[in-house]
Amino acid sequence: MVGEQGDQDRLAAFEDRIARGEKIEPGDWMPEAYRQQLVRMISQHAHSEVVGMLPEGGWITRAPNLRRKLVLLAKVQDEAGHGQYLYHAAETLGVDRQELLEALLTEKAKYSNIFNYPTLSWADIGIIGYFVDGAAILNQTMLARCSFGPYSRANIRICAEESFHMKQGKEMVIRMARGTPEQGQMVQDAINRWWWPTLMMFGPHDSNSPNSPQLIRWGIKTRTNDDLRQTFIDNLIPELHALGLTVPDPDLSFDEDTGHWTIGEIDWDEFYRVIHGDGPCNKERLDARRKAHEDGRWVREALAAYAERVETVEVS
Amino acid sequence: MTDTQWPRFYVFKQDSPDFPHLNCGSVHASDGEMALLNARDVFVRRPDCVSLWVAPASRVAEVTVEGLAALESPATSGQEQDYEVFTKSASKGQHARVGKVVANSPADALRKASEAFNSDSWVWMVVPSAVIVASPEDEGPAWFEAAHDRPFRHQSFYRTERLIREIKAGQHDPPGDD
Repeated sequence: MVGEQGDQDRLAAFEDRIARGEKIEPGDWMPEAYRQQLVRMISQHAHSEVVGMLPEGGWITRAPNLRRKLVLLAKVQDEAGHGQYLYHAAETLGVDRQELLEALLTEKAKYSNIFNYPTLSWADIGIIGYFVDGAAILNQTMLARCSFGPYSRANIRICAEESFHMKQGKEMVIRMARGTPEQGQMVQDAINRWWWPTLMMFGPHDSNSPNSPQLIRWGIKTRTNDDLRQTFIDNLIPELHALGLTVPDPDLSFDEDTGHWTIGEIDWDEFYRVIHGDGPCNKERLDARRKAHEDGRWVREALAAYAERVETVEVS
Repeated sequence: MTDTQWPRFYVFKQDSPDFPHLNCGSVHASDGEMALLNARDVFVRRPDCVSLWVAPASRVAEVTVEGLAALESPATSGQEQDYEVFTKSASKGQHARVGKVVANSPADALRKASEAFNSDSWVWMVVPSAVIVASPEDEGPAWFEAAHDRPFRHQSFYRTERLIREIKAGQHDPPGDD
């Protein structure tokens, strides 16, 4: 059939463009599976930024000094902004924001599993910046090279700002690790709780990640989950050791032959349990989002009423 | 009244007087004035902006090289008006403002833009000049002042790499927190 042949040709031209390093832009032909994968990934990323404000937001009023409070406020504000950049990128694929937000609130869409864990002490805020934002930057640096123009541009913008998030956390961890024994214990306790969930952020092992080969062929991702995870571990372990901190993994060892750190097995049962709703804070996070959405309703209605009235006055 | 999203507005940001306005994304807002304020919150948390424009997404037209041939033929008559033209190359960058065309429809504007600005362009975007709401020129820097004096928003504020290096070399006493 002519149509099928046409699609074959278009697919070949599309893949050639990606191989040449060109960006696919809204309005260009793209396979439906490419579009669907992007909508899924971008909206999940956007929701993660928005839900990601919650674990840290609760600590703004309890920051130990004004400098730390200003920094945390600025960081949480950035995350709200990053959510907006990403919703925009998804909207260029023909979905609308209302639809995406409803998918989050009705649990049809996912967000990063890491935000279903609680922030129990001030040290958690440092570890979130150092570990969680550090892991996110690796992923987002890869996505800044993504073949879809709007998603690539959103990630370039995010990475430039996110480096500040990671560094403010790392600075806090350095300070605490070299502070009083109590501060050192607090930060070690935070590491013990966040280490494994952070490693899970990179997703299942490559052998268990069925979408990866296609995502890589189409330039949506350029590195695999295990590859990114290994870079993260190799960067982090020597720094932690220099600070006199450890990770809760009795099997951790350095492989002289490969030059890489080897870790014990990740508890994938826990990963899937939390993804499917049974984490410590899943309900709390969604309840907070639903409440925010409802509490903001009167503002949306008031502004819509104002806009309508201005329009009526202008017309008459 | 139903709870629905507000209309979408494209946002164009100028980082310095020597650079063109760049398309940086979009915001939802009830009207142009609110769109401008939202755009400032979303895109100008750091002081690298001298001018912001917003335009209703419904008035922004865009075409890529792939879609040029399928553009509807321009109307033979119609009100002529100015359109701002933005272009983007195939492999990198953002849509940057390159100039204006006078046209009688968005399709006409896209066709003229693709003829007038065709070096290294993959995407053309056109916006009627009349629908753009701009940040006030006379208030200049004051309008973006809230983003100034926040050095802690920049990664260069944190000397973490140097700290780690010094700690590894065993030559570091931590400074006091302020």
